[in-house]
Parts: sequence; C-alpha cells; structure tokens
Amino acid sequence: MILVKALSKRFGDLLALDDVDLRVGAGEVVVVLGPSGAGKSTLLRCINRLTQPSSGEVFIGGERIPDTRSELRRIRSHLGMIFQDHNLVERMSVVKNVLTGRLAFMPLVSSLFQVFPRKDIDFALACLKRVDLEDRAWTRADRLSGGQQQRVGIARALAQRPRAILADEPVASLDPASARLILDDLRRAAHELGIAVVCNLHQVEYAREFADRIVGMRRGRVVFEGAVPDLDEAALALIYPGPAGARSVGPA
Amino acid sequence: MTIVYGRPLRRRTAVAVAAVVAAAAVGLTWSAGQLDLSIGELVRGLPWIGGFLRRMWPPHWGFAAGLVRPVLETVQLALWGTLLSLLLAMPLCMFGARNVSPHPALFHLTRQFFNALRGINEVIFALLFVSAVGLGPFAGVLALSVHGAGMLGRFFSDALEDADPGPIEALRATGAHPLQVLVFGLLPQVFPTWIAATLYRLEVNLRAATILGMVGAGGIGFELYGSLKLFQYQDTVVCVIVILAMVMATDFMSTRLRARILER
Repeated sequence: MILVKALSKRFGDLLALDDVDLRVGAGEVVVVLGPSGAGKSTLLRCINRLTQPSSGEVFIGGERIPDTRSELRRIRSHLGMIFQDHNLVERMSVVKNVLTGRLAFMPLVSSLFQVFPRKDIDFALACLKRVDLEDRAWTRADRLSGGQQQRVGIARALAQRPRAILADEPVASLDPASARLILDDLRRAAHELGIAVVCNLHQVEYAREFADRIVGMRRGRVVFEGAVPDLDEAALALIYPGPAGARSVGPA
Repeated sequence: MTIVYGRPLRRRTAVAVAAVVAAAAVGLTWSAGQLDLSIGELVRGLPWIGGFLRRMWPPHWGFAAGLVRPVLETVQLALWGTLLSLLLAMPLCMFGARNVSPHPALFHLTRQFFNALRGINEVIFALLFVSAVGLGPFAGVLALSVHGAGMLGRFFSDALEDADPGPIEALRATGAHPLQVLVFGLLPQVFPTWIAATLYRLEVNLRAATILGMVGAGGIGFELYGSLKLFQYQDTVVCVIVILAMVMATDFMSTRLRARILER
C-alpha cells in the first residue's frame, strides 16, 4: 500500500534521510525504531509531504505522490496522520475534531459555515465508538486526558477512511497503560480495516508487542528490517549504538 | 565571606551607563527650558484654577437633560467605529500574520499599513474626514474605524502568529482546503483573543468618541467644548461627570466580559 523508493532529505549539511526504501502492505503494522534524530519523523513527513523530500518517490496504493497542490490534497485525504502531541484543536468539541478528518470530502462552502453532512457526522461518531469515546463526543477536546486526546487523534485519522496511517511517536508522552490502549486501538484498526500503518516508536518493548514488522533506523539510513523475532541483540546494537543497558529505555 | 549578587559592572558597561545618564540629563533639562516648565508659574496659577473650579459649582443639573441625545450619539459612534474597524481588520490581519500571509512582501506591506493607521491619532483622522465628508458624526465614525482598523489588525495578526502550529499542520495533513485549515485549525485558537481585543477597542473608542466633538465630528465633546467657549462652566462640569460615568460604566462591563471570555 505504501511504497517508498530511494527517499532522501537533506537539511543543509545534514542528511536526515539517506536513500530509504520501505514497503508496507494493507493491514500491516510496521514500527520504525530508532534513536532521536535517526530520521523517523522526517521519513513520515516526507511520505505525506509535510516536508518536501530532496529526492526519491512515494506511492500510495500504486499512485505516485504528485507535486501539484490540489492533487496532493486528494492523496493526503486518504492518508491519516497521528502526532506525538495529538494536535487536536483544543477549543473544539471532540466530534468536531474527528469531523476535520472528513473536511476534504465535504462541500467546501457549507463546511466553512459549520454545516456538515449527516452521514459524515454519523461516521465521525462511529470512529469515536471504535476508540471507545463516543460518550465524550460533545465534550471540548481539552477537557479530556492526554491518552483520550490521542485516541481522538486516532479517530480523526480513521474518519478519513485512510488507506494508510502515519503515526509519529503516538505514545511518547503517555503512561504505559494509556500507551498500550492506543497502540492496541491502532493495531486493531489496521488489521480490521486493512489500513497500512507506519508507526514511529522509540520503546523497543512496545515495538515487539505491536509490530507486524520492524524497521530500524540510524542516522537517516535503514539499518534493520525484519519480523519481531529477528530483532535480537545484534540488531539492536545496529540501531542503538552504545552500552546495551541504555537501549530499551529510549529518551522521551 | 563576601556574597556577590550578579556580576560586577565591567568598566566599559559603567562608562556606557554614565554616558546615557548624562545625555538624558542634558536632553531633559534643555527640553524643560523649551517647554517653559516652571513650578513658580504653576503656583501662581493655582488661584485661577481655584476660581475656575468655583465657577463650576454648583453643577447645573438641568443641562443633563439636553445631553441624552449627545450621550447616545457618543455610544453609537463608538459602536459603529468598533464594528467597522472589526470588519476592516478581520480580512486584513490574514495578510499581516507571518504564518498566514501568502507572501512575505504582502506581510511587510500590511504591517506597515497597520503602523501608519495606528500612528495617526483619531482626532487627526477626524479632522481629515471632517474636511472630506463634512461636520458631523459620520466623520467621527470614519476616524474611529480607520485608526481602530490599524490597532485591531495588529492585535489580530499577532494572535494569528501566536497560534499553535500543531493543529494547523494536522489539518493540512488531512488534505483539507486551505480555507478549511484557516476556519477549523486557526480561528478557534484566536477567537477569544480577538473578541477581547475588540471589546477593549470599544472601551478606547468610547473615550475617543467623547473628544471627537471638539473637532466637529459628533458626540458629547461638542457640548463640552461649546459650554467651555460660552463660559458656562456649570454646564461643563455636568458634561465631565456624564462622560466619567459613561466611561466607567463601559470599562466596568467590558473588563468583566473580557475576563470571562479569556478564561474560557
């Protein structure tokens, strides 16, 4: 579903992404592991063009990510993204935040006047139900806990009926219980709805629990790729150089 | 044991500070001379001020009956001046915010435009508009609108620039149209600040509207100025009291309203 070919990104002297190839199938959860600064975020942001890559190509469902703006919007509308800080609009209600995932599919003018098609509202509520928050639909987003806000972030991505979801450190600022709940939601949605998921994490244990496949990055390069059992000490040493004890507890 | 708070002044810093203080002293003394500042003059003038105040007493309360219409006009001036400056500032501020403006040149141009409008006092605008559209409150409304548009535009642009870029990026990532990103990602973040700034502008406009009458641009200032010119000081004091009451009432209401909006 997601195909990344020879993707590179240079920031001045820094080669943040160095010739990265990646393939993610429908319904597959790929976890990208790596230390801070390895290029994980840049990889995701180059896939949906929040950052313009220096070279390389990205295909979503066989369709090349285009350069023209309106075409890019169309592709993005089927690409969900989940952020570390959830990036909800805090003053809006939960359901309206989820509805923003459907904006690209609504008539422009009426949406600007806050008129939403009934079917979109119903679908937004269904997405909230999926993350078990339908009873908080009409609460203001900033009244929810951090973990709940991130689940609203997932619902917003699901509201796009995405072919793929890019999750950038979705649980980095959450306690383990909330983190597992969120990764579980994400994984279930991917498997049930056939969504390709690329999820950046820095905790090895979460990666082992939730990934179908793991990609390890270091200094902009893919240094490991394999199934969960393949992630042994040798693989970890490639991804995280330095003393072995420091590995499983990555920086927040 | 010696405790040193902060670091000692270095010699160069000390010399620079001394130079600035000396320059300020010389400049201010010279200015005082230019301005005829004189405490003796003030003391000699005190009896005059006393006489002036005595002649204001007792207030001629009957004059207040004729002030109903001017008071109403002053409030109307402030309301329309604020409304029009709001309508001007809302679209303009989009070009004056670095993170929204379509082009850097347009950003700088808009900011300079706001500065120009802000830099020119309402009364000066009123004089200009009186000569353009004639004596009367319409000139006053235009003066308040134009000056206020610069003020509000600046406030609004600053609020847009202070908005959290996260939600905006999240909306862009969903493939939403730029206008949808604006309406759903940006405006909810800035609305409370915008409303508070507009209310504050209403307070300021009401105060400004009380003096626009002096240049013939409507409002209670005309009555105040007229009573002064006719030496009817007992009427003047009634004007002053009415103005004070009006301004204090508006400030009281607006301040409470703003506090409530900002805490949400």
